[in-house]
Amino acid sequence: MTLTDETFAYQNFDTIFKQILQDLGVNRSVKSYRIIANPGAPYFLISLKFGRARSAVKVTDMSQLNVHTGGTALTITDESWAPALLSKLWQRYGRDRVEQLTRFEILIHGATTEELESMELDPGEELKTKLLDAVWRLFPEGFTVRYDIIDDKAMTIIGTEHDMKPEWIKVAKMVHEDVRGKEDQ
Amino acid sequence: MYEVLMYDGGVYKVNELYELVEDVGGFVLQKTQIQVQITVTMAIPEEERTAIEAKTRELGGKIVHVPLAGTEIAVVAPTLGRHHMPHPTCDIAEQLRRLGAITVVMGLARGKGRRTSQINADEKAIIEEYDAAVFVLGNFKDCILEHKVRLFEDIQIPVVAACGPQLDSLPNCEAVVCGIGRKVERMRREEEIKQLDQISEAMEGVIQVKRRELEEDPLFVHPAEVKDRISELEVVQRSLRPAPVVLHLDGLRVKIPYKEWKDQLSAVDVYGRRLGDIATLSDSRLGGSTLIKIMTRAEVEYHDAQRKKGTV
Repeated sequence: MTLTDETFAYQNFDTIFKQILQDLGVNRSVKSYRIIANPGAPYFLISLKFGRARSAVKVTDMSQLNVHTGGTALTITDESWAPALLSKLWQRYGRDRVEQLTRFEILIHGATTEELESMELDPGEELKTKLLDAVWRLFPEGFTVRYDIIDDKAMTIIGTEHDMKPEWIKVAKMVHEDVRGKEDQ
Repeated sequence: MYEVLMYDGGVYKVNELYELVEDVGGFVLQKTQIQVQITVTMAIPEEERTAIEAKTRELGGKIVHVPLAGTEIAVVAPTLGRHHMPHPTCDIAEQLRRLGAITVVMGLARGKGRRTSQINADEKAIIEEYDAAVFVLGNFKDCILEHKVRLFEDIQIPVVAACGPQLDSLPNCEAVVCGIGRKVERMRREEEIKQLDQISEAMEGVIQVKRRELEEDPLFVHPAEVKDRISELEVVQRSLRPAPVVLHLDGLRVKIPYKEWKDQLSAVDVYGRRLGDIATLSDSRLGGSTLIKIMTRAEVEYHDAQRKKGTV
């Protein structure tokens, strides 16, 4: 443990993490979090429990589906979703079957309109990316040796400057379980 | 001694102010005109301040207190990463600029971390070209006291440290301002503005001490007088860099390449003497600039005596 009084640091990290979450527009997507900093060791640990991601977005919310001789033609109406939509289509049908006709039109060979209507994009992934961004903004820059635990409910990241000690990983696992099981704040 | 002041007013009859400054033996250092508003930074003999103040009143302008005018200050952060930039480093630099200083913001290549935090000889030499430096540090007391303090242990210019935790004192620096730490927003709350004021007050104190030390063994000429002569050079007038000639407490930075222009700069006439005889010219580490350190009266006398001995 450190012998110095680090009250300022603890308060400051708490404040700046809240501000970062607000900046990224994800403050409601974090149910609870815990920051543990031990400069004497040294390690820095942050654990956060995910809130609910916004409700799933259907393909029909961002595009129009039309029956086509070769499959289904899709006209994008909200371009901001285009990258996520395209990667989802590639994932499911493969690059050969997804043909980009124009900037807004995509032809999916051999896919039915019903199949595409039921398809949803995963907003959870987007949320995780944003929360990771928030964590990197907060994390001390020099602590580049990191260990992370991520599951469907929570994410814990511990970082240090040199060797990561097994007992710190144990602490991270304990904190992760604790935060994971915690009720909403 | 010269005093640096800033006039803030309209362009109406401002020529009368320029004439008065010249009559009392002062210099206009910088003019910034925005439509009909103008700010004029000038160096005047201390005893003539009342005359300048009277003229300013007559012209409907005001004299702004710029205690850091005539100085160039480095604001140093451990890195240029998002963790240290832009806040509060840029806010501190802006605060110092408002008080008349020319500032540069720099990030160290490997200043991050604890044990891995370091500063190299080149970075130290660059920082030492300035009149003073502000080191902007972070949140952990342990980290600052045990490791970051080494970043400025050998720096030969005065250092003001800004950090988060409350510290009674910090070694290797002239002043420490606490309560700042890491920020992700601009410093615009009341208590943050007070902290910025504390930093500028600390810097003012440091510069004051340095000025007093210089007064004990005064410079042969005031840097403003040299600036006046150098500004007449065509290459300086052609320079597109902002503030091509910057005043330091004991010299100047001229933003033209040393290798190409050292001879012309040395030959500049200052009260019948060559600039090369009363100042030391050197290449700046930043590239494309020349540093001029003006010798003290005692040094010039000593060199004159040496020269005479050599010729006799």
